[in-house]
Amino acid sequence: MFDIGQILVNSVVTSSLYLLAGTGLTLTYGLSRFPNFAYAEFITLGAFCGLFFLAKPDGVFFLALIVAFLVAGFVSASSYTLVFRPLVERKTSLIHLMVASIALGYVLRHSMGESWGWSAQAYQIMWPVYNIGNVRITGLWIILIATAVLTAVALHFFLTRTRAGKAIRAIASNPDLASVTGINRQKVVLLTWFFGAGLAGVAGVFRAADTRLFPMLGWDILLPIFAVTILGGIGSFYGLIIAALLLGLAENFGVVLLSGLGLSTEYRMAIAFLILIGVLIIRPKGLAR
Amino acid sequence: MDLMIYVLDTLVFMGIFALLSLSLNVEYGFTGLGNFGKVAFFMAGAYTYAITSSFGWPFYLCLILAGLVASVLGALVSLPALRLREDYLAIVTLSFGEILRIFVKAEQWLAGGVWGIAVPSAFANMDFTPRMQTWASVVLVWVILIAVFVFLYLLMNSPYGRVLRGIREDDVAVQVLGKSYVLYKVQALMVGSAIAGVAGGLFAQYIRFIDPYMFLPLVTFTVWVMLILGGPANPWGAVVGAVIVEFFNRGSRILKDHLALPFDPHNVQYALFGLLIIFLLLYRPHGLFREKPLKTGAEAEVAKWQSSS
Repeated sequence: MFDIGQILVNSVVTSSLYLLAGTGLTLTYGLSRFPNFAYAEFITLGAFCGLFFLAKPDGVFFLALIVAFLVAGFVSASSYTLVFRPLVERKTSLIHLMVASIALGYVLRHSMGESWGWSAQAYQIMWPVYNIGNVRITGLWIILIATAVLTAVALHFFLTRTRAGKAIRAIASNPDLASVTGINRQKVVLLTWFFGAGLAGVAGVFRAADTRLFPMLGWDILLPIFAVTILGGIGSFYGLIIAALLLGLAENFGVVLLSGLGLSTEYRMAIAFLILIGVLIIRPKGLAR
Repeated sequence: MDLMIYVLDTLVFMGIFALLSLSLNVEYGFTGLGNFGKVAFFMAGAYTYAITSSFGWPFYLCLILAGLVASVLGALVSLPALRLREDYLAIVTLSFGEILRIFVKAEQWLAGGVWGIAVPSAFANMDFTPRMQTWASVVLVWVILIAVFVFLYLLMNSPYGRVLRGIREDDVAVQVLGKSYVLYKVQALMVGSAIAGVAGGLFAQYIRFIDPYMFLPLVTFTVWVMLILGGPANPWGAVVGAVIVEFFNRGSRILKDHLALPFDPHNVQYALFGLLIIFLLLYRPHGLFREKPLKTGAEAEVAKWQSSS
């Protein structure tokens, strides 16, 4: 009944989504040193931006991705400038920063709920389905996997070959030393908040295209995204790639195991939670360090 | 429309949320622990009350059990994260709230899953009219609230409370004095979760029917709004914050039920709460009431010494 090939494909699809959605979180978490719980809303916001283009069957998917990227990135960068930077400058404690991020999350989520309603909607775009042997794969999944791989490769070169990418890594490992060497910290951090949330918005479009679209979309996948961020090691992009693959495999094989044991597949989320707890007990710094 | 019912209903909810706010005050206000999964312990208490009272056990026993179960859960969940940085505890508690809700939804045999579970009234065999039962609930909630308030007030001004405040300010300094800060943090979380559990039990007893959708992360956020607005580490602040926020909560519900507005007051209310919190954290992080200096026996001595010189 369960085909190993199909489970592997599903795992790669899940991993790709987590990789896209987690990149911005791990980079901003590493730079700014606090978890941004409003991050879930950037994913949702991207998904709702996609609705402008994909509410009709002849929508252009690529355009939806770009607009989702820009809007989510812009909102993220402005939230950093308007909320988080002033708080950091006032030497606000870590807990207050987290509370502020949750508060911002509610502002964004309830604004989206007011604008688009709380009931589930769906994109009207159809995807071709390919069958290779027993394995079923949709056109959407192929684009998702390709986007994730391209993003990973591009980010690798960005982080190792460009000045801005090296600056991000420098600030993440030693902020003061980075400032002394003449890196403009504010600019680099702002750039990261923009690009990271942009990728989250793209992930939101993919998630909404694969399932449904509603204001809790981002919140529902926030827990696994935090799990991969911590498993990979906060701030580590390479750790994130491995962690996303591991959690993708664990979730999809776990679901098979759960139904084999006669348990509800709703426990899919619990797998991420167990991994999170396990990492905190055994290796709290994550895989990368 | 019976106005009195609205008033009594609001009083009950104010009392229950004041308990939750006080419980967060123990954890966050005094000990500096960021519990972002308050709703999980509230929920654990509510479901413990619902299940044990269905066995026909007396309500006070069920309430005590609700507190116990929640406090044990609080200790267990937080243990892996307590030695680590604050953000790990935040992520773990927040996630636990989601997981507990999934668990209750999935395990239908336990408490009806998504269909919810009916809860008998604590005063069912006392021959009360519905109106008297509501009154009895108000009295029960506020008696417990006052008891908890007095207990916490004394506890936080005791040497024990001073250690908790010490951990909040500098846990290394507390360690140097030979106190295990992890042990104290676990105890603070147990006390906090126990109060939240009792609040959950009272909630279940009052509304007589609970389902998993009543325990969304929104509850946790509401409690944080109350505490930050009122002022952390001040027990009066916690209660006043709860009363103000619950007042607006009820208000927006009444608006939604009785007026046709071009917007949903619930959405607007929570978006505004979010903005309020951001402004408070930026411009008035200590809330309405500031933390009071410690009350110790030394104060009287100092006063005597000052007046004699």
